Amino acid sequence: MQLKRVLTLRTVVATSAGLTLASSSFIAAVQVAGFLLGDTAWIAILVGGVLCFLTAACFSELNGLLPTANGIRLYFKRAFNDQVSLTVSIMYMLIVIIGVVGAESYVISSILNEAFPAVPPYFWIVLMLLAVTAMNIRGIKIAGIFQDVITYGLMASIILFGLIALYKVNFQLDAPLAPGSASGIINAVAIGIFLFVGFEWVTPLAEEVTQIKQISRGMMIALGILSVAYALFTVGMTAVLPKETLAHSASPQVVFARAVLGDTGVFWMTAVSLAATVTTFNAGMISVSRFMYASAREHVLPAIFKKVSIRFFTPWAAIVTLFFIGLVAAGVTLFTQRYVMLVELAAAMESIVYALAGLAVISLHRRLPDQPRPYLIKGGYLVPALTTMVFTVLAAAVFTSNPWVLIIMAVAFLICLAYVKTAVPYLRKKHQSVKPAAKRRRPVRTAKEFDGKHE
Amino acid sequence: MATHEEITESLKVFTDNYNKSERLKIMNRDWDRVVEVKATDVESEHTMILKDGVVSLKKGVVENPDLTVISDSETLADIFYGDITPTEPYNNGTLRIMGSEDDIIRLDFISLLIWGE
Repeated sequence: MQLKRVLTLRTVVATSAGLTLASSSFIAAVQVAGFLLGDTAWIAILVGGVLCFLTAACFSELNGLLPTANGIRLYFKRAFNDQVSLTVSIMYMLIVIIGVVGAESYVISSILNEAFPAVPPYFWIVLMLLAVTAMNIRGIKIAGIFQDVITYGLMASIILFGLIALYKVNFQLDAPLAPGSASGIINAVAIGIFLFVGFEWVTPLAEEVTQIKQISRGMMIALGILSVAYALFTVGMTAVLPKETLAHSASPQVVFARAVLGDTGVFWMTAVSLAATVTTFNAGMISVSRFMYASAREHVLPAIFKKVSIRFFTPWAAIVTLFFIGLVAAGVTLFTQRYVMLVELAAAMESIVYALAGLAVISLHRRLPDQPRPYLIKGGYLVPALTTMVFTVLAAAVFTSNPWVLIIMAVAFLICLAYVKTAVPYLRKKHQSVKPAAKRRRPVRTAKEFDGKHE
Repeated sequence: MATHEEITESLKVFTDNYNKSERLKIMNRDWDRVVEVKATDVESEHTMILKDGVVSLKKGVVENPDLTVISDSETLADIFYGDITPTEPYNNGTLRIMGSEDDIIRLDFISLLIWGE
């Protein structure tokens, strides 16, 4: 069986990498460098990439076992239970969308504000969110070849900038294996996870490829390229400019681009950042709006989110709601300037989801031992157990370095849990009460008919 | 377990109801798709062909479908008779739909318009 529109490995790689490439990634890269001595940020980035390989293996097995566009919602439901799955999924969507939109808005508005000082920063956010919302409502997707061109262009730009910078300063590794204290390394790796946030969001494409293994292969390749690209770029940044200068800027990539290539560099990097932000906003809005639609259809979110545009067949109510959530998240971030905390929040949430993915693999080995697994992790429980342990430690490292992240996460968890415990049963009950009396349309077979069919 | 004949009958009911709706025909006039329906526990394969807004049904499969709907016979018959919504079996993994996400949403919406909640 062959679907008409089959996605190629090239597009799977582009989608996986495209979801992670964001303007706010450079903020995380500078933070990673700040935790380590000298030019050793590459160590933490490569270690982060390797650890994400463990997660990719877990997601590959889960995706092969339960190929679905529902992703963690279904994996966790089967592995744990409906309440855990719902609580984590809602929290994940909420924190990642607020974290990424907030941090991304801040970074891109500061870049554009520098280029056009007369225009207020918030204007750019409204404009970009409006554009992405309109694209989503009309069902216009950045997909296929266009997605490939943007993503590969972004990755090539990042690698080129890194190489040019290293060449210009005649870079030599001074103390390549002396990154500093163990706590510094753990913190750097923990924040470094933000660089790879969303690589696994490619799993919904499971229903658009014919070979499930393409998804796992695509994730692994994307992680490999991203690790090298980010490592080169970050070492390039810290080789050219002092870490303090980079840390004090909301758009360190532009400061770096100016130092390397002057105005041409600024123009190039502004274009790169714009493309990264638009693709991130677009991918985020597509994923989260579809999640909201599916959740409303199963009566766990208010019924309004299942409204679909008759003309474009897109869940417009969910998309418009996300537009307003994005506006608020961006407004609050611009006002408070706490964009770094959003990066930390997203990194911690991602680590928790990765830890749970490892646990889900172990749980499903026990619950569904005989179900076919097109991708089976070798070594039994070793990789999933390691994934769970490592990412639990990384989440704890983020909480320790900034207790506010723990407090916000705890509050978000309690709100989501309360919602799942109270609002969800209410919505389900309400649906049952307004549902017309069940009328079975399918004719009931008599015992005689049934026996006749099976003789 | 439903039989092949029951699945065929459910698909006939579904396509008849679809074709009775002028609204659906207008909405889908530009959405030409081939949808394969396949049971996992009995030998039963069907193809629904949407062309110029009208849907037709044939037994067996064709090359290169746009969407493939896979589930056990009981679930398929219940879904196409409109006795259950596709959401629950889809969300718990009993129902698999292979194809683009946008096409899946549209198929779900068509089912919603034909059978309601």
